Amino acid sequence: MNLERVVFGFVIILALTFTFAFVMGDIDNASHHNVWMLTIAILINLIATGLKLGDRSQVGALLLASSLVVDVLLIAARVVWIVTENETVLGPGPESIANIVSLAGGALIASLVTVVILVGDTLISRR
Amino acid sequence: MAGTSELDRVSMVVLRYMRGPIFALIIVYAIGITGMALMPGQDADGNSAHMSLFHAFYFFTYTATTTGFGEIPTEFTDAQRLWAIVCIYMGVIAWLYAIGSIFRLVQNPHFLLALNEHRFARSVRGIRQSFFIVCGFGDTGSLLARGLSDHWLRGVIIDTDPDRIKALGLRDYHLDMPGLCGDPAVPKHLIDAGVRMPNCKGLVILTVNEEINARIATMTRLLNPDIHILCRSSSKRNIKHLNSLGNITIINPFEIFAQLLSMAITAPRLHNLNSCLVRNPGVKLGEPIQVPTGDWIICGYGRMGRWMYRHFVQTGIKPVIIDPKANNVRGAARIINAHASRDSLLTAGIDHAAGVVAGTDSDHVNLSILMSVRALKPDAFTIVRQNKHENQIAFDALEANLVLQSSLTTARRVLKHLISPQVQIFIDYLREQGEDICEQAVGRLKSLIGDHPPHLWQIELRQAQAAAVIEHLQQGLPLSLGELRRDPHNLEGSLPCMVFSIARNGQRIMLPPDSEQLQPGDELLFCGTESGESMLSATMNNRYTLDYLISGIDKPRGYLFKWLDQRGRSSAIPS
Repeated sequence: MNLERVVFGFVIILALTFTFAFVMGDIDNASHHNVWMLTIAILINLIATGLKLGDRSQVGALLLASSLVVDVLLIAARVVWIVTENETVLGPGPESIANIVSLAGGALIASLVTVVILVGDTLISRR
Repeated sequence: MAGTSELDRVSMVVLRYMRGPIFALIIVYAIGITGMALMPGQDADGNSAHMSLFHAFYFFTYTATTTGFGEIPTEFTDAQRLWAIVCIYMGVIAWLYAIGSIFRLVQNPHFLLALNEHRFARSVRGIRQSFFIVCGFGDTGSLLARGLSDHWLRGVIIDTDPDRIKALGLRDYHLDMPGLCGDPAVPKHLIDAGVRMPNCKGLVILTVNEEINARIATMTRLLNPDIHILCRSSSKRNIKHLNSLGNITIINPFEIFAQLLSMAITAPRLHNLNSCLVRNPGVKLGEPIQVPTGDWIICGYGRMGRWMYRHFVQTGIKPVIIDPKANNVRGAARIINAHASRDSLLTAGIDHAAGVVAGTDSDHVNLSILMSVRALKPDAFTIVRQNKHENQIAFDALEANLVLQSSLTTARRVLKHLISPQVQIFIDYLREQGEDICEQAVGRLKSLIGDHPPHLWQIELRQAQAAAVIEHLQQGLPLSLGELRRDPHNLEGSLPCMVFSIARNGQRIMLPPDSEQLQPGDELLFCGTESGESMLSATMNNRYTLDYLISGIDKPRGYLFKWLDQRGRSSAIPS
């Protein structure tokens, strides 16, 4: 067992689940989506990106690339949230929240790709 | 006079063919458009007006090409309609003429040839990996191309026979192999095939004609003084001439035959290993055939028979020769001047013969000799020469003990040279060392690869093939062969492959032990399974895997964990 793998696997899967938790719910209903979830997901993903810096293997490069994609999409979603926060009392209006959740949905796919690569690599190395 | 390129020729042919039609089109367009613009017409309100030149061109364009949009922009007057009729017939005929010329051009054999040569030269220029040129795509050439494809090596093929090049297009090789229909002795064709390109690693000459082979070899040497040439030749005069060219390997199928035969008699284990390495179907590693050493009969004393006879005599066997023309053969037990048949076989003493060689240059005769032997003495050892690859099924059905096929042995020998020149040197080394060393090597190989067919490959310890190994060695760290061969899934075990020989600074280390320390620039000849090759390549190019194999520890990869690791170690030292 390798501590680095444990920590990275933990962080990556946590980021995936948090993104999923944020995306769950009606796409245009702001009360179904908690901005805290989104913020935590961003933080965890940034940590995951940081952990992959310095890995020179091919798989490491791919993992870094996909977690960068997640970062970009989630941060874009958070920026849209900040800009449209005052549209209604609850937060962003239906159209804006749909945009935010779509972006987070894209990040969810990229997160899923990261996890699949990680699991695949672990299975291939079989040790 | 400046040389013309292939592209110049193609464009020249196109221009020459299209000159007439293009003139015709321009003239017809000019007449049609001018006439249309001059015809009196009327505008939408009924005032008389002329069609503008642009509208006339627009009208003529859709009329001449038989598209026909109608009377645009306004309805035509009768005068305009009259001219429109002229335009239609004139334009359509001119277009038909032009299109007909294009079709004739496309079917013109000279144009096709020029186009094919241009395409071939372009696809060869686009090759970035190393490749080999194969002149002659007959039996041997196509067997060789198949072997190259099996080893993921690229070939460029030249043959004079258009049917053979067409056949090449239908093969399902792993890699694209461009083929040119043309005379390989013509310098331009050789240059098109890339004989001067730095990634052309060798030229193989396999046409059936000795004279042409020699001409190609000479031409190649003139065009590129450094390239390695492999040439099939069996005439003494030609071999002498070819040897003077330098850096040339001469493949004499008859000599190889005889070598294989004497190897089968005196070194059956090595013969078995060699057959397995060249993937002879039906041969199992570690189960050599036993050639008896009693009385032998050789049917046919031609080029092949002579070589065989020489090797038989060297191994102490005095065979009986059956040949209508043979005479004055030194050391022969008996010479029977007759065609090989049931009667002559009986005269030669088939009933107490240990083995028979059917070695004439006719497959039909060889097969009938084999059938007579089957009937007269079923337990005799039979060696048969197969001349044509297409008769394979007939020879398979007769189940001779040893089938020697010229095209196949040549192709295999060439392939061995192309995979790595070390293969044949290694085989020769084992021949000198004797059967015990060979048996040890075979035993080791068999324990590693089991029932998988053995697969040969060569790796140079250089950046391109072994990036991680080079990085490791350049840091001054030692790396032994055993460490490199370790199995990443199980550190106790090793990958299913072994090293036959290492070439280092012009010296060769045969059958190196696992403790052998590797150096940058080593050329390693591996034998193992194909999965072993891909695993080994992964190890050689992934620094993390290599470090894990050497130390048994999965080292941290990211900056954070590396830093933590170093801190942990430095704080551990004082305590």
